[in-house]
Amino acid sequence: MRTQYGTRLAEALESCRPVPPDKPNILKTLLAVQSALGYVPTSDLPQIAQVLEVTDAQLAGVLSYYSDLRTQPPSRHLIRVCRGESCTANHGLRVLLAVQDHVRVAAGDRTQAERFTVEQMSCAGNCAVSPTVIVDDEVHGRVVPSQMAALLERYK
Amino acid sequence: MVRLYLANDTSSCAAGAGRLADAWCERPEIQLIRTSSRGAFFLEPMVERDTPNGRETWFNVAPDDLPRIVAGVGGTPVAEIPFLQQQTRFTFVNFGITEPLAIDEYQTGGGLKGLAAAQGLSPEAIVEELRISRLRGRGGAAFPVWKKWQVAQQVGAEQKYVVANADEGDAGTYCDRMIMEGDPFRLIEGMLICARAIGATRGYIYCRYEYPAAAQTMRFAIQKAREADLLDCDDSPFDLEVVVGAGSYVCGEETALLESLEGRRGVVLAKPPYPAESGLYGKPTIVSNVLTFATIPNILAEGGAWHASLGTEGSCGTMALQLGGRVKQPGLVEVPFGLTLRDVLDRFGGGMAPGSRFKAVQVGGPLGSLFPESQLDIPICYDAFAKAGAILGHGGIVVYDDETNMVELARHFMAFTADESCGKCTPCRIGSVRGREILERIQRGQGTAEDLALLSDLGETMKATSLCALGGRAPYPVLTAIEHFPNEFRRCQKV
Repeated sequence: MRTQYGTRLAEALESCRPVPPDKPNILKTLLAVQSALGYVPTSDLPQIAQVLEVTDAQLAGVLSYYSDLRTQPPSRHLIRVCRGESCTANHGLRVLLAVQDHVRVAAGDRTQAERFTVEQMSCAGNCAVSPTVIVDDEVHGRVVPSQMAALLERYK
Repeated sequence: MVRLYLANDTSSCAAGAGRLADAWCERPEIQLIRTSSRGAFFLEPMVERDTPNGRETWFNVAPDDLPRIVAGVGGTPVAEIPFLQQQTRFTFVNFGITEPLAIDEYQTGGGLKGLAAAQGLSPEAIVEELRISRLRGRGGAAFPVWKKWQVAQQVGAEQKYVVANADEGDAGTYCDRMIMEGDPFRLIEGMLICARAIGATRGYIYCRYEYPAAAQTMRFAIQKAREADLLDCDDSPFDLEVVVGAGSYVCGEETALLESLEGRRGVVLAKPPYPAESGLYGKPTIVSNVLTFATIPNILAEGGAWHASLGTEGSCGTMALQLGGRVKQPGLVEVPFGLTLRDVLDRFGGGMAPGSRFKAVQVGGPLGSLFPESQLDIPICYDAFAKAGAILGHGGIVVYDDETNMVELARHFMAFTADESCGKCTPCRIGSVRGREILERIQRGQGTAEDLALLSDLGETMKATSLCALGGRAPYPVLTAIEHFPNEFRRCQKV
């Protein structure tokens, strides 16, 4: 398991190793690591910094800046509730409450062993069929609070 | 076998188009063609079929509706849908009709004519055509496009860049996503025309993390364009790549976007230098919104004068308005500038969603002003909005109903800015947090009359001294909420 992890990380880093005269691209590298491992483990930052020839501080600065970079392993399913203006106008807050009620974790909180991670997101660009809930890669439009339990039950 | 057309974009699928495709994929009596969406999202999922008199469509289709569609019973001619009939589609002319990744269909619909025209012109003549067209950037800042291009053209450099800003972060906007998912070659064509005009050989599409389908469609389209030998600029290859962001609103600001493209924290830089002189890796760079690039092929194909003849004096051409919120008919509306906001809401929005009553409409994303019912007669053009202290932004229009709590909404806006501030300038970084705290205090019923004055004072400071539009525009939705709905704020005050 650990070896497989190490291979995936090494492959991701290799694909982003800067070829002179190109400069290292920290964001691209962190996204590649996240794509390979599901998150960016902070314990791997020294290794990433070494490959890119940047400081740990530069890495940490980029990692903490972007909200879509994660430093914790995700749950089996990631639920993102859109809090953009169209969803807000369509009373998306009630959807968020229904999701939280079903999952019984506060939005933003996460526990590794749990089935769901609930997050709020800014506009998903799905405004014309709002309110919107995204589970993993599936975008659900015109969601109704009373149907959230049934919808989420499909994700085991 | 009956050929049926079904949209394949994110919103149509979220409305059920994907479910239809899954349910019908094994049916031998039909051939399903996945197209872009017409943008009449209130009717999605829509299924269409050919008739001798053009396409016919069925609305809000469920899987069980297949037999009557195959029998041709109960369809409506697409040409008779008022929402579409009353629009002037130029940039969105292919939507609902073509398959997004079919270059031949793009070409049949008039695609690549603009590029061909540009190839017959000198770089100076291309910029001149844009000057005549009076095209202004569609991302929000509305800067004359030709001026930027002229600067980048005239700066001598061994490397120049063209960057499409596809970080469509303004809440309530989705037309860039539609273009990338639905008519990707139009964006590529616009970028190629720009590359020729300024002499760039590399381009990037900076696409937000929230749009995975758009990024993937663009990657496929770039591959197809390369295979068709379209990707070159003056006989040297034009290197075009999709780069994905990671969830930062401020990366829609051009200097922050370029910082992010180089892999750093996406913070705003002071201007000048402007990117057209010194942008990506210090080289001349044109950063324009996706919709701006997508507007350019028609201008080159039809001529700048054609574009300048549409719209109003200071706002030429058409605008892609994106209706959302509590309207009955949310969707994409392409019309020439100049219609009033009320016209747009009545004729296209179709009034309010059943059971709801109008309270306010916000135009221009999370930094846009709120308009009450009494101010809906404002014409949709840059000048009228600037005069009213408002912005058209990227064309997002979100309608709120009378169940909306304006104090909570104002807090929501300020909290958004506090979350998204890049931290570079003090008025935005500190001001947005203080603003949110004041609004939270008011919401808890512990605010005072001084708090509203303080909020107004803070707003003026942020407007005057912030480095970019995030801090500079953040006070507008909050202050217009207080201006138009003062009682809701007063009611919350401590007695």
